[in-house]
Amino acid sequence: MHLRQRLTPVVFFTGLLCFQGRLRAEEPLPKAEEILDKFVVATGGKAAYEKIHNEKSTGTFEFVGKGVKGTMTIYRAEPNKMYTRVDLENIGAIEDGTDGETAWMLSVMQGPHIKEGEERAVSLRQATLREPLLWRKLYKSAETTGVENVEGTACYKVVLTPNEGKPETRYYGKKNNLLLKMTMTVVSQAGEIPTETVASDYKDQNGLLSPRKIHQKALGQEFEITVSQIDYNVDMPKDRFDLPNEIKALAKK
Amino acid sequence: MTSARILAITFACAALAGSQPALTAEQKRLNLESFDFIWSTIHDQYWDPTFGGVNWTAVRDEFRPRIEHAATMPEARSLMGQMLGRLGKSHFAIIPADVYGDLDSHEDAGGTRTAGIDVRVIESHAIVTAVEEGSPASAQGVRPGWEVLGIDGTELAPRIQKVAEVYRNSTMRELYLARSVLAKLAGDEGSEARVQFRDGGGAVVTKEIGRIRPRGSLAKFGYLPPNYVWITSRKIDGDIGYIAFNMFLDPARLMPEFGSAVHSCMTCAGMIVDLRGNPGGLGIMAMGMAGWFIDKPDQRLGTMYTRQAPVKFVVNPRPPVYSGTLAVLVDGSSASTSEVFAGGMKDLGRARIFGTRTAGAALPSAIDRLPNGDALQHALADYISEGGQTLEGIGVIPDVEVKLTRQALLSGHDPVLDAAIEWIHARK
Repeated sequence: MHLRQRLTPVVFFTGLLCFQGRLRAEEPLPKAEEILDKFVVATGGKAAYEKIHNEKSTGTFEFVGKGVKGTMTIYRAEPNKMYTRVDLENIGAIEDGTDGETAWMLSVMQGPHIKEGEERAVSLRQATLREPLLWRKLYKSAETTGVENVEGTACYKVVLTPNEGKPETRYYGKKNNLLLKMTMTVVSQAGEIPTETVASDYKDQNGLLSPRKIHQKALGQEFEITVSQIDYNVDMPKDRFDLPNEIKALAKK
Repeated sequence: MTSARILAITFACAALAGSQPALTAEQKRLNLESFDFIWSTIHDQYWDPTFGGVNWTAVRDEFRPRIEHAATMPEARSLMGQMLGRLGKSHFAIIPADVYGDLDSHEDAGGTRTAGIDVRVIESHAIVTAVEEGSPASAQGVRPGWEVLGIDGTELAPRIQKVAEVYRNSTMRELYLARSVLAKLAGDEGSEARVQFRDGGGAVVTKEIGRIRPRGSLAKFGYLPPNYVWITSRKIDGDIGYIAFNMFLDPARLMPEFGSAVHSCMTCAGMIVDLRGNPGGLGIMAMGMAGWFIDKPDQRLGTMYTRQAPVKFVVNPRPPVYSGTLAVLVDGSSASTSEVFAGGMKDLGRARIFGTRTAGAALPSAIDRLPNGDALQHALADYISEGGQTLEGIGVIPDVEVKLTRQALLSGHDPVLDAAIEWIHARK
């Protein structure tokens, strides 16, 4: 369960960048790939990641200060299949997914949408299981650009440029090597939405560390995801990642 | 949505400044704190970082010393209002503490009981436009077209005149005229409204009308006060679909019902969506509903401009899409999301709009309480309809302007609906 995969349902609504003050980086900066590899080690190691074939996460989703809450379930399976469902109180379901080819979104409020271009590319990247091991395939470059504080923790700032889409900026703790923050401009049908996501409360599950609190800011609004349960290699129905009927109907047009 | 009214009230209060008591040192301090809050809020949250060319720092430097020297509350309030006025936008206003209390209770009216009748002010007369079936009002013989003369001993004419004067230059005039009457009709559970009517024959009659729970189901959304939300659909003349609902809320219930109503009429000659009296709600629902009528992808109703990024109101086609003739009915009480829907559908050439100009109150806004007890209303974003026109302060201008009249209502007609039906029949 990684920070990136939680972005999709959230950024549907959102955006806001709040960069922390830049610190003077007096020591030589490590190479980005070194930082990214250390993250793999810090969160459990290559062997632990390679044991994962699918994953199911459950938790809650909240619009901070708005009184709107709901539950959230995310399924992912190799190589890059994903299905997310957020059920918001008094609003209904918001679903998002990909079968590895078609990336889509469906909500009771806004109807069905098939993602294309950069929006689709972002979804497929986010759906990639074992992404920390595969970043070299998904990104054409990674560069360490400085050191900044995130919530009082000194972090290396790493800019990753994907094969398709806009660069993402990640902040990895200098000491703990964990991904603590990410900023990116999310491309959605509503436009290009700047987002800031902060991850905390890393916990171990089956030998893998993952954040249990994810706080996102976008378009002046704030969202909080609390992950209560993560299960790996679960029995998953074969049709878990099939396209919903509404998406199939749209695809036929 | 409440800005024009409040701005007018602010300036009216300023006119009375000479008769007001002088401020205490504590009140002056609280006014300065309030001023700083207002300035910072606009500075940090206004969607256009250039403030439309206004030097916002210079504005602060100009007004802050004047607030320090303001002798009375109305004077201080007026200065704060003038500062906001430099932005040249609606939805920015200072709401005096006493007025804020009134507005708050009116806008929470969803939780109170109603008299089961709907009212519009037509040519300075409060006219019943609808009577809820099975309601005490209906049982007592109240009919559309009757004029409401007084409620609980209060004569309405002066009240209507006063509200009309306050909003004389506002597109929201019709909205607040209707609300001022409906607020008076609302009351507590178990209470009765003593209403004086002029009936269809011109006789003055008084009815004791038991107040009832508003129509629909109680819907909650976040910290908004609960609202009763209803949706109705039927077929007119066998082949015209008709859908009406009172708010863009309760999406879990409303959206499937709206979709079912559309799908039950896929071969109909026409469809009518009636948004008269609908004050709006969740903007995203306008896009979702438009998806049942638009089959081309990437169409937009408009764009909302926030400080962080523009947000496109994109319509997702929801096949099977109804591609027949579509009419949308609006009036001066159609506001916000209703205007986003009607304006966007008009701009896309997908619907013909019937009725009267909408309220011109499309911006999302927030109200923050100030340290001095007043409140600040401020818009969070700008909204431009797909045709390139702002809806704020202008509203949606119908393609076919049709006004309700007392005579038409008394004879059992709804001229706006009739015009839409006639147009649909003519296009067969």
